[in-house]
Amino acid sequence: MQIQFLNLYNGVMNVREERSALIANNIANADTPGFKAQDVSFGAALATQLASPDAPVGPQYRASATVALDGNDVSLDGERIEAAQNAEQLSASATFLHQSTSDLITALRPNPSGT
Amino acid sequence: MPDIFSIVGSALNAQDSRMGVIAANLANVDSVTPAGGTPYRAHEVVFEAGQVADGEVSGTDLAAGDGDAGDTGVTVAGTVLSNAPPKQTYDPTSPFANAQGYVTGSNVNQADQMVDLIDSSNSYSASVAVLQQATRVDQQLISSIQVA
Repeated sequence: MQIQFLNLYNGVMNVREERSALIANNIANADTPGFKAQDVSFGAALATQLASPDAPVGPQYRASATVALDGNDVSLDGERIEAAQNAEQLSASATFLHQSTSDLITALRPNPSGT
Repeated sequence: MPDIFSIVGSALNAQDSRMGVIAANLANVDSVTPAGGTPYRAHEVVFEAGQVADGEVSGTDLAAGDGDAGDTGVTVAGTVLSNAPPKQTYDPTSPFANAQGYVTGSNVNQADQMVDLIDSSNSYSASVAVLQQATRVDQQLISSIQVA
């Protein structure tokens, strides 16, 4: 893609969407015996996405999670915080993308001052 | 990758059936059985991380070529019966009493069930919170597509 910021935001929002699905899945499985919470490292996943947009993002297990007696290591509050954070950052990148796109369209207009 | 809504939907379904089972247990906390009958035993649902069946869009979207056919969503794997000993109360006058004068009740522990209910309700509201958040973000994404 020639327009660089579209490329970047495509990667960012893909990773954010992937994370939101993983976190929702963690919360859904908060009471499943033996389930281990999964997440992606945003930085690593974004680098992979930008290098090759079709590459799948590999989820990882949480390293420092406390495992309950039934083998489940989901922290419900921790996941809710992650979900909130991720949602905020997803809307932030949507806002930035919107702003960049309107700037681009303004620049493309023959007469930016209107009429 | 199935969407966040089917994941949350599966979670709400699973927690709902768990609460249904808890309600059945609590309803039977004082059930008694005649001598020689099988007493009521507390049921407990077991969850399993599973593939969400995304009915109408199967095969057409990312699910085929995505590569990560990982476990998503949650399903009810089944119910297990508690092995706790049934409650025995001494009441020789009861028509349900056995030869020793004991009445066999259920093996439901009311406090355990209440704790389980709170846990289930917490998980349910967490899923609802995720649903609301996803809806809000989606609305914002849609509105940011409109370029003036």
